[in-house]
Amino acid sequence: MKLAATIRGVTHSFGSVREVLAKANPPKSGDDLAGVSARDPVERVAARAALSQLTLAELRANPVIPPEEDAISRLVEDDLDESAFAAVKHLSVGQFREWILDTATTGARLRSVALGVTPEIAAGVCKLMSNMDLMVAGSKCEVVVRCNNTLGLPGTLSSRLQPNHPTDDVEGILYSTREGLSYGCGDAVIGINPATDTPESTAEILRAIGDIRTRNQIPTQQCVLSHVLVQMKALALDCPMDLMFQSLAGSERANKAFGIDVALMNEAYDLMQRRRSSTGPNFMYFETGQGNALSSDAHHGADQVTLEARAYGFARRYKPFLVNTVVGFIGPEYLEDGPQITRAGLEDHFMGKLMGLPMGCDACFTYHARMSQDELEGLKVLLGVAGCTYLMSMPVGDDIMLNYQSTSFHDVPTVRGLVRKSPAPEFDAWLASRGISSGWTPGKHLGDVSVLR
Amino acid sequence: MSLPLSRTRDLVAALRRARDADDPMPPRERLPPVPLPPQRVFPSPRRRSRLAEAAAAHTTALVGIGAVGTRYATDVVLQFQAELAVAHAAVATQLPAQWADTNQYVSLVSRVADHRQFLLRPDLGRRLSEESAARWAATCRKDVDVQPILADGLSAVATMGAGPVLMAAFIAECEARGMSVGTPVCARFARVWLQDEIGQLARAKVAAILLGERPGLGTGDGLSAYLVYSPALGRTDGNRNMMSNIHARGIPPVDAARRLAVLAQLMLEQRTSGVELDLAPRAAELGEAARGGYRAPVARARLVEV
Repeated sequence: MKLAATIRGVTHSFGSVREVLAKANPPKSGDDLAGVSARDPVERVAARAALSQLTLAELRANPVIPPEEDAISRLVEDDLDESAFAAVKHLSVGQFREWILDTATTGARLRSVALGVTPEIAAGVCKLMSNMDLMVAGSKCEVVVRCNNTLGLPGTLSSRLQPNHPTDDVEGILYSTREGLSYGCGDAVIGINPATDTPESTAEILRAIGDIRTRNQIPTQQCVLSHVLVQMKALALDCPMDLMFQSLAGSERANKAFGIDVALMNEAYDLMQRRRSSTGPNFMYFETGQGNALSSDAHHGADQVTLEARAYGFARRYKPFLVNTVVGFIGPEYLEDGPQITRAGLEDHFMGKLMGLPMGCDACFTYHARMSQDELEGLKVLLGVAGCTYLMSMPVGDDIMLNYQSTSFHDVPTVRGLVRKSPAPEFDAWLASRGISSGWTPGKHLGDVSVLR
Repeated sequence: MSLPLSRTRDLVAALRRARDADDPMPPRERLPPVPLPPQRVFPSPRRRSRLAEAAAAHTTALVGIGAVGTRYATDVVLQFQAELAVAHAAVATQLPAQWADTNQYVSLVSRVADHRQFLLRPDLGRRLSEESAARWAATCRKDVDVQPILADGLSAVATMGAGPVLMAAFIAECEARGMSVGTPVCARFARVWLQDEIGQLARAKVAAILLGERPGLGTGDGLSAYLVYSPALGRTDGNRNMMSNIHARGIPPVDAARRLAVLAQLMLEQRTSGVELDLAPRAAELGEAARGGYRAPVARARLVEV
């Protein structure tokens, strides 16, 4: 295994696969903060050249955290589909990139290797791709999931309705919910981040959303994004929980900082098998985001793209209905500006899809990051073109509880119109029956909450 | 063998004439004057819709704002851009180097060199510069119950706004409860955890840092307060108690000061802070602060009048 490359007569050598992966990353403030990024643009390209020569088998054999030190490394190894892996293990990362981009490599073929792709492989090939490469490859991947409705079909673009409220005022949540539904949002989930993380408030919000769904016969699912332990207790309070949520990270230690481990997630999944209110077979919802391991000092010297892919390795065990990267949420110390946030959104979408996950993206910025509203609008369109499964949606993109800027109710029908994509078919039919929209075409009742009861 | 260019042009022109049209576009339509669009709803008392009116009793989310096609009406765009500008301006504002001296605080600075580094290197914003640390250790009042610290954090606008009032009220509330208070200090380029080093050098039992919080849309003037018992390098978020949204439209500084003093007293009584601190004995006095991450809603103000 050669960990070196020569550029203009100067040989750049690297000490480990982990170092090659980190230095091959495009510039990210979080990698600078962790002290793992390339010294300069030339060393970055040298790392990419070295990476391009490694085989997928070598990447699998060298996870960025050794299995004996980390439960996520062990979980990935335990869950890997050996026959899918066998089809591509001999390829170098550079050859794997070319195979993915080849016209003859269809979505179906990509799907057949998805469960044999380890996080390090997904992250490795991602680092050799340009933004447009990531969009071409991402748009080819087909990941279809089903709960109360069907997400990820070709030609569809869904959205999470995120009617957060700073005091969990249920009436306030419902005002935002109705408004969002009237713009065609909410086919992925109506999901609330609660201000108060208690089983009682979780159950109360779920019942309120469940009521509005039943009253209007809306084919979607509801979820309250409290901690998984809180949701498990809420299940005992007899509430309609369609999806169970949890934030995930790419190392055992980072997940511990989230208050979870593999055993707990296994338990939560088993509980939902029996107690959920939804159809399934997919019913878990996970959120991730580059930088979430470093923020708890649990990055083990690895870069944030590879750690992000490892969170997908964890997510994959539970056949989730939704996974999304909250791409600009953690702050400029991890993704400094518009170009870094844009790049990360496209990377995360591609890596998740390649690994077989229904990837959505919360295209967003905090107000201390250097990203303009115009750049954020651009990212939403890029994600729509790249085949992103779903975007978020909230009133004017302003989360009044979490204080950041994301996708708005208005953006969802706008992006659908621009990229000619429809909501999930069941939800599309419901929207058409209310005159809100049909496919990507707005109807005469778009934005009219009086069509809801 | 290629034809001369003039010959090619003649051929193309002849083809167009044969189609009866030189202009590739269809003839232009003559439009009557475009009717004025209906006035769009917006949460101003004069003009808001019944829906927006009813919603405003429950939420500050901008709902009932209608749409033009699938986009926002012009007044919504302007309001939104004004809110965004307020937030960005708050982040970009720096605390002047002389501000602490002018306001009679001991002036300290973290290891951060400039504003961009402040945003990108939270680790440097958590430690005092060598000069500041030495000067603080040599001159501060030691072995106090409470060390009050004012800091810029992510909004110097908030620090310079309600900061001095909150600081003075907090000190007075602590002294009224019999606690000894350390030398009032103001730190630049400061993150929350800077309280650990400042408090440790003063051998304070409790360190309280009051600093500008991350701005939200239209709200760049909020302060947050973090208190930690037995401040020392290595404390984590689990060791701290916090109160956010301190400003005139949220928790007024005078109310916040009283609750923070009660919180400090509770820490002295129980000799701990953070997740281990039992807030129940003083829940009534602490009010919303006893509820952890609670953030009171902020009324949304119309920012643009034309």
